[in-house]
Amino acid sequence: MPKILNRFLIAVLIATLAASNLLGAASAASTSPAQAAETIRSALVQAQLSLTNDARGSADLVQDAETMYQTALSTGISTSNSEAHLRIVSAFKALKESIVESDAVSFAAARAQIWTGILAGSTTIVEDAIQSGDGLTAQTWLPVREFRTATRFSRPNVGATVAVENFITGKTSTDATLLSVRADLLDTYQARLTESLRDLTVADGNGFSTRRAELAALAEGYLFILSPAYLEQRGIEALSQTQAAFADLRISATDDPQLLAEKLMIVEKALNNFRAAPLSPAEQSRRAGQLVRFLSLVAVEYGRGVVDGRVTRDIEIQEAITFYTGAYAAFSDLKDLLDARDHQQTVQADALFVSLGNQLSETGTGKSVARPEAIQSQTDELAALLKILIPEDWLSNSAQGDFDVIASMLDQMLVAARSGEYDLAESSRLDAYAIMETGPEAKLIVFAPELKLRLEELFWNGQGEHKGLAYLIKNRAAYSEIKATRIQLDTSLTEAQAVLGKNTAPLAIAMNAGIIVFREGLEAVVILASLMSSLKSAEERRYRKPMWLGVLLALLASALTWLLAHGILQSLARYGEKLEAVVSIIAIAVLLLIMNWFFHNTYWTSWLANFHSQKRRLLSKETGLWLGLIMLGFTSVYREGFEIVLFLQALVLEGGVGVVVLGVLVSFAAVVLVGMIVFRLQKSLPYMKILVITGVFIGSVLLQMVGSTAHVLQVVGWLPIHVVKGLDLPYWLGTWFGIYPTWEGLGLQFASAVFVVGSYYLAEGLRKQRIFSARPQMPHTLAEPLKVPHPKTESIEITT
Amino acid sequence: MVYEKKFAIATLIFVLLASVASACAPAAEQSSTAGENASTTDLDGIKTYLLGKSSELTTSSKSLKAASDKYYEMAKTANFDYAALRASNALEVSAALTAAKSAWIVASPLYEQMEGIVAGTPNLAEYDVILDAGASGAEDPENAVPFDLTLPDGRILPKPGNLFGVLESTLWGTYADYTSGIEADLDGNGSIDFGENLPDANVLKAGADALDQYTTELGSAASAWQPTESDAFTALVVMVPTMSEYFNSWKNSRFILGDASEQRDFVVISRLLDIQNILGSLQIVYGEVKPLVESADSAQAAQIEQSLADLKRFVADVHAKEQNGYQHTPEEADVLGAEAQNRATAIAGQVAQIAAKLNISVEE
Repeated sequence: MPKILNRFLIAVLIATLAASNLLGAASAASTSPAQAAETIRSALVQAQLSLTNDARGSADLVQDAETMYQTALSTGISTSNSEAHLRIVSAFKALKESIVESDAVSFAAARAQIWTGILAGSTTIVEDAIQSGDGLTAQTWLPVREFRTATRFSRPNVGATVAVENFITGKTSTDATLLSVRADLLDTYQARLTESLRDLTVADGNGFSTRRAELAALAEGYLFILSPAYLEQRGIEALSQTQAAFADLRISATDDPQLLAEKLMIVEKALNNFRAAPLSPAEQSRRAGQLVRFLSLVAVEYGRGVVDGRVTRDIEIQEAITFYTGAYAAFSDLKDLLDARDHQQTVQADALFVSLGNQLSETGTGKSVARPEAIQSQTDELAALLKILIPEDWLSNSAQGDFDVIASMLDQMLVAARSGEYDLAESSRLDAYAIMETGPEAKLIVFAPELKLRLEELFWNGQGEHKGLAYLIKNRAAYSEIKATRIQLDTSLTEAQAVLGKNTAPLAIAMNAGIIVFREGLEAVVILASLMSSLKSAEERRYRKPMWLGVLLALLASALTWLLAHGILQSLARYGEKLEAVVSIIAIAVLLLIMNWFFHNTYWTSWLANFHSQKRRLLSKETGLWLGLIMLGFTSVYREGFEIVLFLQALVLEGGVGVVVLGVLVSFAAVVLVGMIVFRLQKSLPYMKILVITGVFIGSVLLQMVGSTAHVLQVVGWLPIHVVKGLDLPYWLGTWFGIYPTWEGLGLQFASAVFVVGSYYLAEGLRKQRIFSARPQMPHTLAEPLKVPHPKTESIEITT
Repeated sequence: MVYEKKFAIATLIFVLLASVASACAPAAEQSSTAGENASTTDLDGIKTYLLGKSSELTTSSKSLKAASDKYYEMAKTANFDYAALRASNALEVSAALTAAKSAWIVASPLYEQMEGIVAGTPNLAEYDVILDAGASGAEDPENAVPFDLTLPDGRILPKPGNLFGVLESTLWGTYADYTSGIEADLDGNGSIDFGENLPDANVLKAGADALDQYTTELGSAASAWQPTESDAFTALVVMVPTMSEYFNSWKNSRFILGDASEQRDFVVISRLLDIQNILGSLQIVYGEVKPLVESADSAQAAQIEQSLADLKRFVADVHAKEQNGYQHTPEEADVLGAEAQNRATAIAGQVAQIAAKLNISVEE
């Protein structure tokens, strides 16, 4: 009986053990790889912490961790990355030995080896899964990863997660997904490698033996993850040497710390210029854009903060330092690539950056104050060197860099506003808008005009739910209000980035350029063609010449504007809107006068006659007329000329001269065609019809100009804004017809229409009165009409 | 001629129509940003929590102000002769300073209990710089507080650092510039212990007044704030990784280095308690968005919640050991700090991935 009982008990025991193993396996199997990995990691940390006072507890924790690895992770890792699996297995063995010997240092090193082995295994599984089209497996294993050490100011990468999501839904290809995943993971592990080496130096300096061992092992483990990329870039021999160097480092960290510094130098030399995840073209462009923009602002801000060798505005110096830091950070990210292009120039540029940084730092801490001219000279020298060093195609598609700079300037604006320095806040705001205008706005005008409008309102004097920044700063609004608008602006800027990211093809840029020029040119050509075509007689045709002269002068002015150095345009761009406003007002005034001249020759000439009845003859009436027509020709074309040049410059930077010229030529041809059609149409019409049609054309353009000008005046704050409540107009009415839902804009358009029509009837009335009073008194019968002659009719009949 | 005219008119109409068509081209499709995901999650719990803590904070800062004002008046009466003040008004001075310190000890953790939300929310983050996180202009110009402190006697302290830090170093005498140089046995135990000195009354008053002002402003800002999903995720991603900063503060504090510590802040309350308080507020935030996270990945949602709880427990365990008299060695503190940072980075990473899946923007 006892035998049977014994056997029964043994059977029950075996069954129980088997069941618990099965349960354990099932439990582990239901645990995701990420959960399993985290369980292993935290168990091993706890084991290390309790090693010295609870060896048994440590051993249990290590056993649990090993079981978890065997049941949840080893199958996948051993299949995809056998070397990683072997490293993990041998490290678990080392852990057990170190527990027996109470060797916390060796334990720390082995723990690091296990963790990096798991990371390496996971990385390989994810890549293999993507290559075989298995998005779900990639998604399951991707969370077994690390991230760059996050701070308040940096965010974890999400590129790999998004790429795999898109891969699963079929939005991206295998190659593109693999590229994104590698870019994210390799960048992360290279950053972690760098951190490990840095922390290793600190730990060594503090004499922390356990941390030293852990960090050296971690560094070696991260290199193991990066080794395929290292092999691809440097070759097998270099990889072997580097792996040996890291192994030496690890051994030195535990056995021979005196040699650590020397081993570190060898390792760092091996890593020099190695970038596991090369910057994508988009990232290269982004950093190049940041580098150029930030650097260009250093001397500008510095110059505003130093007068007569003294710091007068500390905040400006801080802004200069911030922009310098941004530029140098971007340069550092590109340094390896630039070094591969030209080592000597890259070293020279680095030295110039360091020198500039030292000077700024000394001014910032008050040690010594460099002259603004010296800073300008250094930045100019550096900019010139970078212009040679940086490939042109990096500077195209640099809209992302522009947004980074805009964000930085808006940060400065907030800092200034917070300190109550509203003039500085306004200066920063203008700087940010200038970048916007000379950069992204050119494309937004075409691809997202509604967004452009929204940004304009938020930057300037919008009166919506969030008032514009210019308005708030001018009225010294509370910081919270300014911050709220900034946040809203950030949302819109994010949208703008997304738009611009999608429209970078050469055709899109050509179309962009063409539409800008066509839209702005249409209005000018309608005015001019209408007027010119209606000047039919030989005597009148000569008045076409001053208009052509005005047009020519405007084109020359536009060309001159184009030729100005980009830096000058940059600083002038702050005033772009105001310049447009001023020129627009002149254009409207001239157009009104010319319209009156055209329709009411007697009105114009009598006005001039009155003017010239004064003793001093300032102008002959002919000269005055010519000047007016020249101004009409000039302002019609140049009214938008300055801003068009800014926009086209931005497009050239992005798409190249050829693409932009193509777009401009096509639109120019279209504009000329419209002009010719208007001219031919009117030429064949009877004179009165010409008058009517010309009047309608010019009147329409006048209304558009008045509406657009009112809008610009409101943007820059020279005209108040009172929104017509409840009137929601589509954005294109504003863009194309100058119709915006404000009382001022609509009112001025109405008033200008009344003025033009009213002045016509007034002038007609005056003319008829003069003719009537000049006519000799003759009897007539009521039955017979009295026809009043019109000065421009072909024949004059007087019947009695 | 008629044909030509008609052709010309037709061409003109075509060109004009093409122009209008290009003008009416649909605005570019909206980018996938927070705008698309207007807050559909009920986040009122976050605001309710924040307003509650803000109200308590305002109360304690007013207590601090009242005690500081009392001390200032006494010092002013003594013509700022602190030795004479100590001699003539020992009991009243002791009472005022004890009250001020007590108020500070209440206020500081209260703020830490809301810091996770305040510092992590773009609309409110400026107050964190002013109250708790900002450096002095001398130490770190780029991350300095945006204000100067004007003292009642006309002196100006340019960008002196965050207000809790200024008040802590003033009340406990860890920064010579803010003290009178006169020590005093404030608790009457017959010996001059750590922190027993007479603060510079002008600095104390100015600091307390500023604290009262900004905590009141914070309350108003919090009332006006409408939490969004972006705010919530940003707070989680931004604040969880600050473990590194706080553990560094702890490693360099008196709690690890004792008298060898040169840190003038974090001398009264262990940073470990601050970390727990911050994590507590982040758990509140996460609780509100958890349903949303579950909709994207239920396993991840559970893991993040567990990770937050584990991290808080990890820190609590270390703090408990410290409270029980155990003094961690600098190397132990380093190991613990690294572990906390690793856990925090992992949590922040997981939250950031979920935010990306849900198309919710995390503010830069």
